[in-house]
Amino acid sequence: MSGRSFRSVFMVASCATAALGCYLVSLRVASERAALEGVETQIVVAQRDIRVLQTEIGTRGRLAQLERWNAGAFALSAPSADQFLNGSFELARMIQPQHKVDFQAPVVLASAPTPERKPAIGDAATDETGSAPVSDPPLLHQASLKTETREVPARPPATSAPAGGRTSTDKPAAAAKPADKPSVGRPGLAAAKPKKSVDKPVGGAAGTVTRPVRIAKTDPLAPLPGAPSHTSRDHVSDR
Amino acid sequence: MNAPSPALVASRPERLRLVGQRRQILAVMHQRLMFGMLVFAGVVALIALRIVWLAAFGDHAGRKEGLTSLVPERGDIVDRDGEPLARTIDAWTIAIHPTKVIGDKLALARQLAQLMPEHSEEQYFALLRSGKPFFYLRRRASPALVEAVNALGEPGLAIQREPDRLYPQTSLAAHVLGYTDIDGHGVAGMERAFDDRLSDPATRGEPLVLSISSTVQQALEHELMDAMSKFSAIGAAGVIMDVHTGEVLAMTSLPEVNPNAPGSATPDARFNRATQGVYELGSTFKPFTVAMAMDSGLIQSFGKQYNCPDTLPAYGHIVHDTHPFGRVCTVAEIMKESSNIGTAQIADQLGEERQRAWLGKMGFLGPVPIELKERGRALTPGSRWGPFETMTVGFGQGIAVAPLQLAMGYATLYNGGVYHPPTLLKIGPGHPLPPGKRVFSEETSYRMRALLRLVVMKGTGRKADAPGYRVGGKTGTAQKLINGRYSQTINITSFAGVFPMDDPRYVIVVMLDEPKATPETYGFTTAGWNVAPVVSRTISRIAPMLGVRPDRNREPDMSGVLPFVHESHGE
Repeated sequence: MSGRSFRSVFMVASCATAALGCYLVSLRVASERAALEGVETQIVVAQRDIRVLQTEIGTRGRLAQLERWNAGAFALSAPSADQFLNGSFELARMIQPQHKVDFQAPVVLASAPTPERKPAIGDAATDETGSAPVSDPPLLHQASLKTETREVPARPPATSAPAGGRTSTDKPAAAAKPADKPSVGRPGLAAAKPKKSVDKPVGGAAGTVTRPVRIAKTDPLAPLPGAPSHTSRDHVSDR
Repeated sequence: MNAPSPALVASRPERLRLVGQRRQILAVMHQRLMFGMLVFAGVVALIALRIVWLAAFGDHAGRKEGLTSLVPERGDIVDRDGEPLARTIDAWTIAIHPTKVIGDKLALARQLAQLMPEHSEEQYFALLRSGKPFFYLRRRASPALVEAVNALGEPGLAIQREPDRLYPQTSLAAHVLGYTDIDGHGVAGMERAFDDRLSDPATRGEPLVLSISSTVQQALEHELMDAMSKFSAIGAAGVIMDVHTGEVLAMTSLPEVNPNAPGSATPDARFNRATQGVYELGSTFKPFTVAMAMDSGLIQSFGKQYNCPDTLPAYGHIVHDTHPFGRVCTVAEIMKESSNIGTAQIADQLGEERQRAWLGKMGFLGPVPIELKERGRALTPGSRWGPFETMTVGFGQGIAVAPLQLAMGYATLYNGGVYHPPTLLKIGPGHPLPPGKRVFSEETSYRMRALLRLVVMKGTGRKADAPGYRVGGKTGTAQKLINGRYSQTINITSFAGVFPMDDPRYVIVVMLDEPKATPETYGFTTAGWNVAPVVSRTISRIAPMLGVRPDRNREPDMSGVLPFVHESHGE
């Protein structure tokens, strides 16, 4: 009885619940969609802001302004044809190491053959070929080779003897004119200033080795025999 | 029961009547209630229906809220690399409704005059009391000013955002871009030529891509401006073009307009000298004459000799040379020393018919073929085109063309002989390269390279050389026609150059209007002294950007000209 009488009420209630449920679903969908639209709007607003900022940066950093800064501060100019290289080889050629003679470094005599020499001394047969007087000169010669590149300008000193044994070996190549000597060190600078060409390889470190060089050099430059010590030597020590 | 007692009769009808009345009243009440309910329900139903209708078919049906896409009010204009040249932004606008002002008008006028000093207090006060409904106080106001005005708190002040056209690069390529009026419609340049495309909602979302390269444009403008002020010229123009496609990479006309404030420009500044102005460009025309003669078989070799006396009497006139040879000279020498007398003889051999036909094919006899609306039309002898006019046209007098046309002619001559109409739009997917027309043979185009390179290596254009870039070109110094007479002192100097000459890729034409002599030019006002250095500097700047590698060891094949140049002369 009661179930029958309330049946309509249940029907209405279930219908209402179903309708409400459907409505809630659609409400949920609508709210999600609205949120999505909100995000899209935010994106567009952000894009617009980016555009405005880009425009502002572009306007402040316009080419005419950069040109003005360049004229006033940077002073950059177009590269010349020589500044373009054809590849990695040309680039590598630009940074080729320069020969630097280190005078402070200890002179290491070529003493390697000592273990070989001992057996040589013992043997009578090898005594002639590997004897001490024969092996010594090469060692000395090697040490003199190092200075040879630098000392080339020193050759002229035909008159002065203090150079010692090493200079005497160089003598054959000596030239009377200053223009010739620098050509060994640096061909470009040579003709203009012979002293400078000496400077570069020396690198400021003038040891005892250089001294005979300077005295020798004065001779061709100054015809007067009295003034040998001051001309070229001062310049060398300046640098 | 047949006759009721009076009491009963009297009483019963009373009760009955009451009952009947009550029923009637009740029925009426029910009716009214029902009616009211129906009306109410009807109204509710109507409202509900209306809501449903609106939801389904109303204005906002299915429309998304807020911004969904970024379509500007007017399309952007960008250069070939995508750099913006013109943009529409939202700018602040300050306006006032004088009738809605509720505060003290005098005080307000005082405050406004402090904030915006372009008008005085009295003017602001008069404006506030004028009774007019609306005034703009400031367009494109800075945010700081907007904040300060807003802080005044006057309800009559209207502060709003309005779309505004901004040119971020200010006057760069101003004559190409043009400008818009206050309503945002293009009135000059590309803004005018493509107004429909830029304002149509369907197409304005995509930017308009120009062929202009802003870096190249800046270099050209800077160097030209430099020369213009150095030589106190009244104007200048320059064009740089891609030889193979006809794309204009840079085009300028000085003095320039600032398109952000076009109202302040003079009429002279608004005039586009590169496309609107036509000038007798003088000797820059000579290579065309030689090429025509070569293509028609009159000249087989640059060693062909012409008699070049000091003056040449012809058809009742006398042709002069600035550096007369006074001897027999070769075509190579004629071009190197820019001899009018020699070129006149070549043109005479060529004849009017052929000359006219060729100039027509090169686009020199009609309007300037370019998208801009500001374009001139070449001036030719027209009906007076006789044998002597053929001679003068041969060396560039009596025919006036725009600098852009000259660039176009050089492009045609040096790209292998094919004419492509110049364009300001980037050639690409949306704008394919139109088919060209052959004007010169490939052979002529190839052999002419050496001739033009000779002018820069040894002739009048030596100052235009940019080491390593193989520049070839021709100087042109034309006397200006003033009151119908050629002035002896006032010139228009021009230079048309092509680089790199061993494989031509770009053409550059620069022109100075009325340059004056300076101590550095030793009193000369000829093209070799004033415009040629501009070309040299500009090419040194732009060529690396355009991908042209400088190489001092490369040169075009000069064997066709060098043997025919008499070195002792003029060297």
